[in-house]
Amino acid sequence: MVKNPSESGVSALGRVGTWVATPQLRIRLGIRIILVVAVLLFIYYVSTAPRFFSATNAINVGQRTAPDIILAVGQTMVIISAGIDLSVGAVVAFAGSLASVAYCYWGIPVGLAILMGLASGALLGLINGLIITKGRIPDFIATLGMMVTARGLGLLLTGGLPVPSHLTALTLKAYLPPEIIWLGSGTVLGFPAGPLIALAVVILGWVILKHTGFGRAIFALGGNREAARVSGIDVDRTKLLVYVLMGVLAALAGLVLTGRMNSANALMGDGMELQSIAAVVIGGTNLFGGEGGVIGSLVGALIMGILRNVLNLHNMQDFAQRVVMGLLIIGVVLFDQLRRRYGG
Amino acid sequence: MSSSLILRAEGIDKSYPGVHALDHVDFDLFEGEIHVLLGENGAGKSTFMKILSGSLPKDSGRITLRGQEVEILNPHHAWELGIGMVYQELSLIPSTSVAENIFLGRLPKRKPLGTVDWAETFSRARNILDDLGVDIDPRQRVRDLSMGERQLTEIAKALSMNVQILLLDEPTSALSEEERERLFHILRGLQEKGVAVIYVSHRLAEVPQIGQRVTVLRDGKKIGTLPVEQADEATLIRMMVGRELGEQFPKTEVPRGRELLRIRGLTVEGMLHDLNLTLHEGEILGIFGLLGSGRTPFARVLFGVDRMDSGEIFVDGNKVEISSPAEAIELGFGYLTEDRKEGLIPHLSIPANITLASLKQICQLGFLKHSEERQAAEKYVRELGIHTPKLHQRVEFLSGGNQQKVALAKWLCSRSKILIFDEPTRGIDVGAKAEVFRLMNDLAGQGVGIIMLSSELPEVLAMADRILVMAGGSFTAEFARGQGTQEDLMRYAVVR
Repeated sequence: MVKNPSESGVSALGRVGTWVATPQLRIRLGIRIILVVAVLLFIYYVSTAPRFFSATNAINVGQRTAPDIILAVGQTMVIISAGIDLSVGAVVAFAGSLASVAYCYWGIPVGLAILMGLASGALLGLINGLIITKGRIPDFIATLGMMVTARGLGLLLTGGLPVPSHLTALTLKAYLPPEIIWLGSGTVLGFPAGPLIALAVVILGWVILKHTGFGRAIFALGGNREAARVSGIDVDRTKLLVYVLMGVLAALAGLVLTGRMNSANALMGDGMELQSIAAVVIGGTNLFGGEGGVIGSLVGALIMGILRNVLNLHNMQDFAQRVVMGLLIIGVVLFDQLRRRYGG
Repeated sequence: MSSSLILRAEGIDKSYPGVHALDHVDFDLFEGEIHVLLGENGAGKSTFMKILSGSLPKDSGRITLRGQEVEILNPHHAWELGIGMVYQELSLIPSTSVAENIFLGRLPKRKPLGTVDWAETFSRARNILDDLGVDIDPRQRVRDLSMGERQLTEIAKALSMNVQILLLDEPTSALSEEERERLFHILRGLQEKGVAVIYVSHRLAEVPQIGQRVTVLRDGKKIGTLPVEQADEATLIRMMVGRELGEQFPKTEVPRGRELLRIRGLTVEGMLHDLNLTLHEGEILGIFGLLGSGRTPFARVLFGVDRMDSGEIFVDGNKVEISSPAEAIELGFGYLTEDRKEGLIPHLSIPANITLASLKQICQLGFLKHSEERQAAEKYVRELGIHTPKLHQRVEFLSGGNQQKVALAKWLCSRSKILIFDEPTRGIDVGAKAEVFRLMNDLAGQGVGIIMLSSELPEVLAMADRILVMAGGSFTAEFARGQGTQEDLMRYAVVR
């Protein structure tokens, strides 16, 4: 709080100026100005970006952001339960690679291959959950370990090569099935499939959090673990389920990503865990758990996706884009803190 | 009053959005005086103390310290002015030692590198604690201390800063009778040294024991200041609540029904020893025990939060195993925890908290039935008189008494037959206290069996049909209603 004795007697400013008469109100005004400036800047760059307002570009942004949105929904639930999952980027890569390897090299039918991918995500999530609940290891450490492990498993599985890899310079050893490619680049009645899947996941997440007992248990667990337990909630089971769900969603994101790139590899999805956490935080979910929601995370993921696209259209180089994204995350959280403290 | 005026506050005013927390309050304090500040929850006591201790800015008004007008900028500035505050919500750091907490932010340093002088830290802490007559090892970690010991550490911290005005916000709410006596003794000693104390309390009985004058606040307004000789309980209650209350402990007789609960030989190694009890329908069984007697560990084991080593529990005559709170709730238990924070999810709304222990009942195929949830919440908000601007208010924004009612509503909603109340009136005001007792009576009337764990002698004596006294993890005596006096109970509560 800003306190200055000389400012407590400012009634001299009179009725006209009372709305900026106290430091709190002045900060509140400042917060609003920053918000307006930020929005205007965003609109300016969007509107001056070459070819931003075209159907092709909209589809492009949607397809690129879809895996991020799917991850952000899972990460929202994890963070509301007062956890964090650092392994999701690695699970994206492993599950995408596993489904591709299973179909391309092991000759497993496409439906089963996709199921194997999703199941591997569930299994890795389950292992995360078991380490955290039974082993009583902090979420951060357990999933950090899984992040490294799953990357390693993916590299072992693929031999470090893209799947499918090349037989000669021009021909591939095998081809990805159209079903997986459809997940990333197909359409439904003209709408791109990836964003539709992401939207379905957002709705699923919203229903779970707002309308189910499981969702209520997630909030209770993150808000006050001890009180949740004393109220009869099986906190370990809740946490376990949250991580399994996260694992499945990460695997789904991996399949969508594989489909969009028309290829899987064990190093894809690098940094996606941090992007998903950033989307959740930008969306207003409390990083300490207990409050938040998936709609905010959807907005958070979209803001990041659109910004990345706009910077690309403006031909900003990738290295500089990283700086901008990093500053965006810090700025949004700082802004949110100020808003919480001073209102407005 | 012969001594001189040390502090005067005039026309102190403070508003929050929607609440006029303090409405032009005047207050004065003399050197060496203990001035009790009374009021129901939400009366503005804590806000007033926060303004004096510099943690909240006032909107308007004047504060004069020894004749000089001052503007208290922040808590640190308050310390420099000689005003020290002991918070209701303890502000100690559990993972560090008592001594470190006492000297937090101003640990003695050793030249030339400015490293901490540990020997000096511990010996100075030892001296302060000895002066207070408190037997706490300054090297002990705060998390290993009882609530009472933490409170005393907090006071030692305030005294270490040489304050002339000590602000105590409900210092005895977590203390046993014994520790309370010791605190009063300590305060009288400070008084002789000229320290002035503003003492916020809910306990009317304490007013004549400790104070010279008492000021009552209600709804942010000062109702009046009286010398304690003129402040009998009836007058104070009238001033606090603005209405005559009926009997404070309105016990109604309920015929005792069949046996609900029987416990045989419940033991936790080194903590609880061979506990036996029975509880019947409509019975209020009081368990009186001081701090550290094993009251709360017993409740936690019975409710499945902690494990027992041996013993048998029978519910409705059937032997049961209780290994988790979920199982206890299934069997019809409810547990109102001593610390309200352990019983509530602060970020969640009133309805979500009320239905938390009945999630299965308000879910169909896993989906919440929102309308049923709202109806249940509306019912309990009405029946228990939970004051809230809107039904879906988050419980973190409710006052202590209303939070307690929400916690209680949770167990009413789950239709508990056996209710464990651990210090049900801790930190709530007179009006809310009477309501909690009335509710206990109603519940007993409906055939609910209640185990009331308490360190409040008058409350146990007034409310319980039967009283077990607990000390050192054992039941040391049993009294039927009307048999034991306060002295009898106390005698068995201190034996080892």
